[in-house]
Amino acid sequence: MRGSAVVRSAFLALAFAAVAGLAVVPADAQVKGGVLRVGNLGEPPSLDAHWTTASITETLTNHIYEGLYSLDKDNKPIPMLAESHTVSKDGLVYTFKLRQGVKFHNGKEMTSEDVVPSLARWGKQSIYGKALFAQVDTWKAIDKYTVEMKLKEKSAIVLISLAVPNNFGAIYPKEIAEKFEPAVKATEYIGTGPYKLAEWKPDQYIRMVRFDDYKPRNEKPNGYGGGKTAYLDEIRWVPVPEVATRVAQVETGELDFADDLNLDAYDRLKRNSAVRPIVSKPYYWLVAVFNKKEGLMTNQKLRQAWQAAIDIEPIMKTVAGGKSEFYRMDNSLAPLEISAWHTKMSGLPWNERNKDKAKKLLQEAGYKKEPIRFMTTQEYKWMYDFALLTKQQLEDVGFNIDLQVVDWATLVKRRNNPKEYDAFTTGMGAFYDPTHHIYLTSSWPGWTHDEDILSLQSELARETDPKKRMALWEKQTRQFYEKVPVIRYGDLFGLRAARTNVKGFNESTERIRFYNVWLEK
Amino acid sequence: MAAYLVRRILAVIPVMAVVVTIVFLLIHLIPGDPVSVMLGPDASPAQIQATRAALGLDRPIHQQLVTFYARVLRGDLGHSYYLDRPVTRALAERAEPTIVLTLCALLVAMAIGVPSGIVAAAHRGSWWDRGLMLVSLLGVCIPGFWLSLNFIFLFAVRLGWLPAAGYASILSEPRAALTYMVLPAVSLGFSQSALIARIARSCMLDVLGQDYIRTARAKGLHPRTVTYVHAFRNALVPVVAVIGITTAILIGGAVVTEIVFNIPGLGRLVITAILRRDYPVVQGVVLATAAVYVVINLMVDLLYAFIDPRIRYE
Repeated sequence: MRGSAVVRSAFLALAFAAVAGLAVVPADAQVKGGVLRVGNLGEPPSLDAHWTTASITETLTNHIYEGLYSLDKDNKPIPMLAESHTVSKDGLVYTFKLRQGVKFHNGKEMTSEDVVPSLARWGKQSIYGKALFAQVDTWKAIDKYTVEMKLKEKSAIVLISLAVPNNFGAIYPKEIAEKFEPAVKATEYIGTGPYKLAEWKPDQYIRMVRFDDYKPRNEKPNGYGGGKTAYLDEIRWVPVPEVATRVAQVETGELDFADDLNLDAYDRLKRNSAVRPIVSKPYYWLVAVFNKKEGLMTNQKLRQAWQAAIDIEPIMKTVAGGKSEFYRMDNSLAPLEISAWHTKMSGLPWNERNKDKAKKLLQEAGYKKEPIRFMTTQEYKWMYDFALLTKQQLEDVGFNIDLQVVDWATLVKRRNNPKEYDAFTTGMGAFYDPTHHIYLTSSWPGWTHDEDILSLQSELARETDPKKRMALWEKQTRQFYEKVPVIRYGDLFGLRAARTNVKGFNESTERIRFYNVWLEK
Repeated sequence: MAAYLVRRILAVIPVMAVVVTIVFLLIHLIPGDPVSVMLGPDASPAQIQATRAALGLDRPIHQQLVTFYARVLRGDLGHSYYLDRPVTRALAERAEPTIVLTLCALLVAMAIGVPSGIVAAAHRGSWWDRGLMLVSLLGVCIPGFWLSLNFIFLFAVRLGWLPAAGYASILSEPRAALTYMVLPAVSLGFSQSALIARIARSCMLDVLGQDYIRTARAKGLHPRTVTYVHAFRNALVPVVAVIGITTAILIGGAVVTEIVFNIPGLGRLVITAILRRDYPVVQGVVLATAAVYVVINLMVDLLYAFIDPRIRYE
């Protein structure tokens, strides 16, 4: 009797608690507070966004700084620190209105006085900034909240260049933008972003804390941009270079989030109920880049033979650890996620698996089994794997591949010297505009100096009508598969993992962002 | 003794000069470029050239070497490209974790190695002897990183007894520091304990076979007194030598352990610096490590004299 009374009152208490709990904390309510510990693979070379293209710097600095524009969920430019812009009728003058009342982490208001020197510095150092400022005639402030960019010629890349998150046009206070020469990395870090840098202990952690005076935009979160809310008290970025350790630490809860994990950890993470594995896309499409300045691969027929010979699916399957979740077969030069530039074209000589065609092309090329120096690295296992399988497939049709396995630092040095290689492996990440595809330029390693490709690229930089641009881009894609400046393999995806109490994380961006993320208690 | 000490210290100078030169040339002669690494995969050649010039990397290598000598003589090891601080400061920041780890691992190695060697020798041919020597053989054979990863999987992921990785300063958070240190110290110390155990055993056996031990036994001394008082002290000299060597090996082994357990020490610093081609840091760490080796050697020599009164340096 007594026993059942206890049971009943316990039951009632439970039910009450459940109802009360529901009433107070509805499902998925955002809560402020907490420290989010994020494990990533290394240390940034700098927190100066203008200075480096390193992806780790991109990820970190986008929490501290903001640019005039950002990217929405379709990877199109949307205003961030800019309020709006107008373009003159001839398309040569862009006038930007800045948002008012936006504060830097040092308490000062952001005005045109800061925007002009910041983007001028960016225009001298960043690859995207340089491309844009090559077209700029004058760049000046009109009044406190208005800046004006006058172009030498019509340009299609003004807004997208100001919006790219990598090597981006972050707005620094005037004092910092003017103090550091463009080629010298800035060592003072003040922005307008939702988090501010609190402490940086190299190889131990970078602490960012909420910026209480952050002024969010009124829109809802949208891709990389829109309204940003800093729910977390602190983001603690912990470099954990050993990937097995990163996996273990997110499993034990020592980390709340781990980026760049090895794909073999996927099954283990899936079995752990406290962890949610996340397939990250876009990640990279695998690429073999040819040296078109000197040596064997200057011969277009030889490049076409390589393209005809390879069977991409088994390569991708191996690289993805046999898991179909982690690769995609696609011939578009822009990944599916960059929907504005993704092409759906058939009849391209991609993944032909045509040994006879390859053999015939080798013959026409006059190839006599000279060794082709193909550089790769084991530092990125996927690069090594796809290089090795490519070697096997190519040797089946009569190529002689000299696979040179070096460390990454050696590879990125050597690829600048046309005497040292014929091809190298790397990955192509998300390019948000056709003009950003670096392998279609004559300055980037591999040196694509084909007249037709380059003239189409400059036409794409000038043409402002989106429809005409898409037509040009499709033409460029067709040309790409004919001239084969590089070999496009398939899309590879990455793996990250979050503890299940990490809420509000946007899974569809290329790189991780933690504004709008909160920790469930 | 004093003259010996002075002589030994003076001998350090040419050794260090050679080390300085070799380190400089080695790191500069391997291919790779710090600027390409820092500016990221999409950087343009023009951007890379400008930054190389800003860092003084475009000057001829012999000029850079002369600058380097001049700096080292002034006690300045240069400025890290990647970490934005003087190398001496980076070294000072990373020294504590490596020292703590090495000492803890050394303690583990000695605590396991010395007693097992003595017990095995005292009970020669018994199951104790065979069992302990089998374990120590395993210790020598198992690679450190494999042991470390398995320790993490078992004790952190599966059982949840200890943190998987990380570091806390022993000065500010002693308790957390201890929990972080258990797994790395044991996995690093275990393989070295094996070496110590084997040396301790064979030295003990040597000593136990000598005449004065027979005499001591004949006097009717307790077997335990014979083993632990009379034999042990004399067996200790080679063991100390091995512990000296072990300390040096541990500093090397700490590289792998620091990477796996994410300890921000000198080992991790040098590995990441090599991958980033952060020349000043690599030079600084190697120089500092060489200096430590030299000092340990000196200390071991002096310890001999202390333990064994027969050894005197003239």
